[in-house]
Amino acid sequence: MRSPSPGPADQADQADLAPLVRAAQRGDALAVQELLDLLTPYVGRLCGPIALQDGPDATQEALIVIFRGIGGLREPAALFGWARVIAVREAVRIARAAARSVPDPLDGVPARDDPQLAADVRDVLGRLSPAHRAVLVLRDLEGLDEHSVSALLGVPEPTVRTRLFRARRNFRKAWER
Amino acid sequence: MNDTWPIVAELDAVRRLRVIARSTPGTSFAEHLVDAPFDRVWGLASDLENQLPLMIGDIRSFNVTSAAGERLEARARSPLGMRARFDVVLRPGWCLMQSRFVVGGMAAVAERDGTRLAFFGGLRLPGVRLAEPVLRPLLAPLGARALGRLTDQLEGHGG
Repeated sequence: MRSPSPGPADQADQADLAPLVRAAQRGDALAVQELLDLLTPYVGRLCGPIALQDGPDATQEALIVIFRGIGGLREPAALFGWARVIAVREAVRIARAAARSVPDPLDGVPARDDPQLAADVRDVLGRLSPAHRAVLVLRDLEGLDEHSVSALLGVPEPTVRTRLFRARRNFRKAWER
Repeated sequence: MNDTWPIVAELDAVRRLRVIARSTPGTSFAEHLVDAPFDRVWGLASDLENQLPLMIGDIRSFNVTSAAGERLEARARSPLGMRARFDVVLRPGWCLMQSRFVVGGMAAVAERDGTRLAFFGGLRLPGVRLAEPVLRPLLAPLGARALGRLTDQLEGHGG
């Protein structure tokens, strides 16, 4: 069910990353573009399942925040971890702002008329709140432990456990419906 | 569960250029939905040697001096005779370039029956972030003006 987190080593050779980050920090637009090539699939994979139909907006906004703030990134090797925090935060913010979230628990949320559609993952995820989608993405897609998820989302570990329990229960419930 | 997480948010070329434009101080950005197919729009936009002098008043000539894959080098000359060397990345629907003092780019994506075309350009100077409030009124119209000149070309060619 869980695969290892796609760390920086999967995305780019760390030795190549540092000069690129330093060049981007000096205002080198071509270095920014190369980093954009590396970061966009990663940020899109985090923002997509959380922000759903607003995924491209969330990805765009997250990358703007990342590149506006890259001057303050002291350790280039931390780029992907830092980008992950921003991506998740922006995806949750945009999904909430779009008012497409549904309250938890999901009891009483009607299933779509077509049972085949109800089996669609996007449909199932769409019936979870952005906060629950975020915790599922971080634990089950990214493979982070509860401590890391807690630090990343800025909520206590017991809250992460509760959200994860509810998110998984609701996901299964919606999936089996 | 991993196999059933199919949703990866994609970022098209225009959105990518928005990211670069909005995170680069001292630049101007404009986009426009052009009523012409992508191949025609990009065919014209990517003809840098002929189009950039028409689009940008400060460029009198733009000559590509070398090409290796998507990477080009070019020499630009201003109406006053000043020269600048540009590094360029040119891909279908995407162009980004910079000299020591200038940065710019174009992006295009097919949208409905037409093409969304975006342009960005501006200064690349130390301290430009601090000077941006002063520069913004001067720089802001540049993107729309350059884009307007390119779309005029499209219309001039029967589109």
